[in-house]
Amino acid sequence: MQNISAILKNVSKPGRYTGGEYGQIIKDKNKIKARVAFCFPDTYEIGMSNLGMKILYGALNQLDDVWCERVFAPWTDMEEKMRKYSIPLFALESKDEVKLFDFMAISLQYELCYTTAVNMIDLAGLKVFSKDRGEDDPIILGGGPCAYNPEPVADFFDIFSIGEGEEALCELVQLYIDMKSKGSYSKKAFLREASHLEGFYVPSLYDIEYNEDGTIKSFEPKYDDVPKRVVKRVISDLNTSYFPTKPVMPYIETVHDRIMLETFRGCIRGCRFCQAGMVFRPVREKSAEVLNAQARELYENTGYNEISLTSLSISDYSCLHEATDRLLEWTNEKKINLSLPSLRADSFTKELMEKVSSIRSSGLTFAPEAGTQRLRDAINKNLYEKDLLNAVGLAFRGGKSMVKLYFMNGLPTETYEDIEGISTLASLVVDEFYKTPNRPRKPLTVTVSVSCFVPKPHTPFQWEPQNSLEELCEKQKFLCEKITDRKIRYNWHEAKVSRLEAIFSKGNRRLSKAIALAQSKGMVFDAWEEYFDYEKWMDIFKECDIDPDFFANRRIPFDEILPWDVIDIGVNKSFMINENKKAYESLTTPNCKEKCSGCGANRLGKELTWCPNKK
Amino acid sequence: MVSQQEVISVRVKFSKTGNLMYISHLDLARTMQRIITRAGIDIWYSEGFNPQPRLTFAVPLPVGVESNCELLDFKINSYMSNEEIAKRLSDSFPEEMKVISVYNPEQKFKNIGYIDYTIELYSDKITKESCNLVKELFSKECLITKRTKSGEKQVDISKYIKLVDVEKIDDGMSIHTILTADNENYLNPEYFVGAIRSSLNILKDDEVNEHYSIIRNNMLNFDLKEFI
Repeated sequence: MQNISAILKNVSKPGRYTGGEYGQIIKDKNKIKARVAFCFPDTYEIGMSNLGMKILYGALNQLDDVWCERVFAPWTDMEEKMRKYSIPLFALESKDEVKLFDFMAISLQYELCYTTAVNMIDLAGLKVFSKDRGEDDPIILGGGPCAYNPEPVADFFDIFSIGEGEEALCELVQLYIDMKSKGSYSKKAFLREASHLEGFYVPSLYDIEYNEDGTIKSFEPKYDDVPKRVVKRVISDLNTSYFPTKPVMPYIETVHDRIMLETFRGCIRGCRFCQAGMVFRPVREKSAEVLNAQARELYENTGYNEISLTSLSISDYSCLHEATDRLLEWTNEKKINLSLPSLRADSFTKELMEKVSSIRSSGLTFAPEAGTQRLRDAINKNLYEKDLLNAVGLAFRGGKSMVKLYFMNGLPTETYEDIEGISTLASLVVDEFYKTPNRPRKPLTVTVSVSCFVPKPHTPFQWEPQNSLEELCEKQKFLCEKITDRKIRYNWHEAKVSRLEAIFSKGNRRLSKAIALAQSKGMVFDAWEEYFDYEKWMDIFKECDIDPDFFANRRIPFDEILPWDVIDIGVNKSFMINENKKAYESLTTPNCKEKCSGCGANRLGKELTWCPNKK
Repeated sequence: MVSQQEVISVRVKFSKTGNLMYISHLDLARTMQRIITRAGIDIWYSEGFNPQPRLTFAVPLPVGVESNCELLDFKINSYMSNEEIAKRLSDSFPEEMKVISVYNPEQKFKNIGYIDYTIELYSDKITKESCNLVKELFSKECLITKRTKSGEKQVDISKYIKLVDVEKIDDGMSIHTILTADNENYLNPEYFVGAIRSSLNILKDDEVNEHYSIIRNNMLNFDLKEFI
C-alpha cells in the first residue's frame, strides 16, 4: 500500500479513512481462511451509524478463521486522489486492498446508493458486471433492505443474502472455507451450492424472458436444484442470537453517536405503504432482562452517554415499561439519556414522557402520514385525530414546544381534500397548544414535513403507480398555499428524488445497464443533494432506451410477474392483494396483537411470534 | 453533592501518534470523555442544568501533528491512585494513544511558554544546501500570511522561533525547533513548515512521494525547562 497518510493531509475529514478506532478487530492474516470486506456504499459517518453493519461485523468476526473488515465509500475528494495515485479501495483495519479479499459484501440500504456501490467495485479494481469478473476475484455479495428487490443491481452481484444476515453470512463463509479445504471450490460450483442455503439468491442461475411491452414473461431457475423462490432468513430468537456489545468507537462525529439497542424486529401494524412493516414480519422481541444486560455491557464498552431503544415502533414493544424501569435504575445515576424514537401518538403516555424527560430536546415527532381519517384508514395507519391531539397536549403540558409531524403526498386514493387535511390537522395542533393552560413559555413551532409516496416492493401498494412529477409538485404547491398559519413550518421533499427512488425500487434487471452507465460517467452519492442530478439520470435512461414511467408510473395488474417475486418474504401475495383492495374501500386491518390477519409470515417465525393463531 | 475542596486534580500525560494525527481536538475531547467513562473513573462533572465532565487540555493539538507530550487535566470525586488511573486509562485507550504518566499537577497550563518539535520533510529535492537555506530562512524576518478570524495578515514568524536545528537525513531533512506556545503568541507549526515549503519550492504537487511530519516532543516553561 502506498503512503495514504500523506494524502490524508489534503482531504476533508481524514478521520474517515484512518481506521485504528477502539474496538476495531485485528486478526493474524496467516490464521485466516476467509477475509470479508464489508462495504458500505456511503460515507463513514453514515455507515458507522448503521446497526446492521455492527451486527454483521461482529457476527463474522466471532468465527476464528474469518476476518471481516470495514470499507466505506471515499468522498469525492478522496476518490480523486485515489484515482490520481492509483490507490485501490482498501479496508480500514489492514489497509489491504479489497481485491485481495475472498468476499466483498456490500450493504444496500437505499436505492440511491446504487451508483456508489458500483463505484466501490470499480475502485477496488474489479469489473463491475459479475459476468466479466474472474475466478480469483472476490465473491461480491449484496444484502440489506434493497436486496428484497435485488433485480436493478442483479448484474453486478454474484449472490445476495435475503433477510436477516447474522446466521446466514456465517453459513455462507463456512461453505466457502469447506469447499476450499476439500478442493471442490470453483466460483461456479460455490455459487450453485450456495443457492441451496436458506436465504441466498444467485441471480445468474435464473433465466428471465420479457414480453414485448417490457413486462416479465417468465422468471425461472436454470436448473432443477435451484429454488424457484428464495425464502428470506429470519432469526428465531433475539434473546440468544448474536448482538454486538463491543462496537468500534468512531473518533469523528457520526450520525448516531449513541448506544443503539435493538428491542424487537418486525411490526404489528401493517401500514400498507411500509416495506419494513412487511419484510421484517413476524414480530420477535427481546426480553427486558436481555436488553438490560446488553445495555449495561454496551455502556461499559463504549462510554456513550445516550441509549436509544430501536425498533420500527417502540410503543408496541410489550416489555417497554419493564425495560425502561430496569434501565432507569442505573442510567439516571450515570447521567445517561434514554431516547425512544419511533413513538406512536396513540400510545404516548404521561408515564412514558416522564421516563424520557431527562432528554434535553424540546421537541417530539409523530407521523400521522395522512391528513384525513379516510386516507389514514386507506393506508391502515390506525391513528385517530384525538390520539394525536392527546399526545401533543401531553407534550405541551410536559414543557415541549416543538412538534414535528410527518406526512406523505401522493398516497393511493389521495384527493386534494386529504392534502388540505394536513394543513387542518397542523392547525388543530397549534390550537391545542394555546388551549393548554400551563403551556411552556416558549414560542411554538409545528413543523410539517411532507415526503412523496414511493411504492415499494413487497407491500400492498407494490402495484400502485407513483404520481407523476408534475402531480407531486402540484400537490406540494397546493399544500404550501393552504398552510397560512405562521406557527407552522412546512418542509417538503424533492419530488425528483422520490421519483428516482420509485424507478429503482420497482425496477427490473434491465436497469443495471443504466446504473453502470451512470457510474462510468462519474455519478456517485446520488443521495447527497450536492451530487443528485435528475436531468442527467433522465438522459441516461434515454441513452439506455429505458422508460422511467414504465417503472414509476404504471399500475401493475395483480397477475403480472413482478421482478421481485423470486424473493419470498413469507407474506402471501393473496394477503397483499386483499390489503390493496381494502385500501380502496378505506377499510382498516387490525394489528397483529388484536387479531391475526393471516399474512402468512407465521411460518417463518417459529414459536416467538405475536400471532394469536400460533400462540 | 461533593464540594470543591474534596475533589482531586489529576494530570495525564499521553501520546497521540500515527493516524490519530487526523483526529481533531474536538473529536479527541469527545473520545476522551468516553475513554474516561469506559475506564470507570469517577470524574467530576460541572454543576448546573447540563452537567458535563470537565476536561482541560493544554495547548490543543492541530490536525496533522503527532505528539508525545499531550496533557489533560480533570478532577475526580473520590480517591484513586495515579497508578490505578494510568492502568485503567491504558486499557481504554485506542492503540495509537499511550498513557505516559499520571500525576497531581502543581503548575497551571498558563505557564507553558514553548513547545519543542521534531519536523521531518521528505523529498528528493532536498539537498545539504536546502538545510542551510532553512537555517538562514528564520535568522532574519520571515513573513507569512496568517489566516485569522478577521481576515488575512502578514506576520513575521521569525520572532516566534526560539531554536532551529537542521540535519540532512536519508530522504529529506530533520528539523528540531522550539516555537512559542503561550496564549498570545502561539505559532502553529504548519506555518513554520509552510514557510519552508514555499521558500524551497518543495512538497507542492506530489503528495505521495513528498510529505512531512510534525511531532511535539515536549511542552516547555517560559524558561525553556520542561513543563510538568
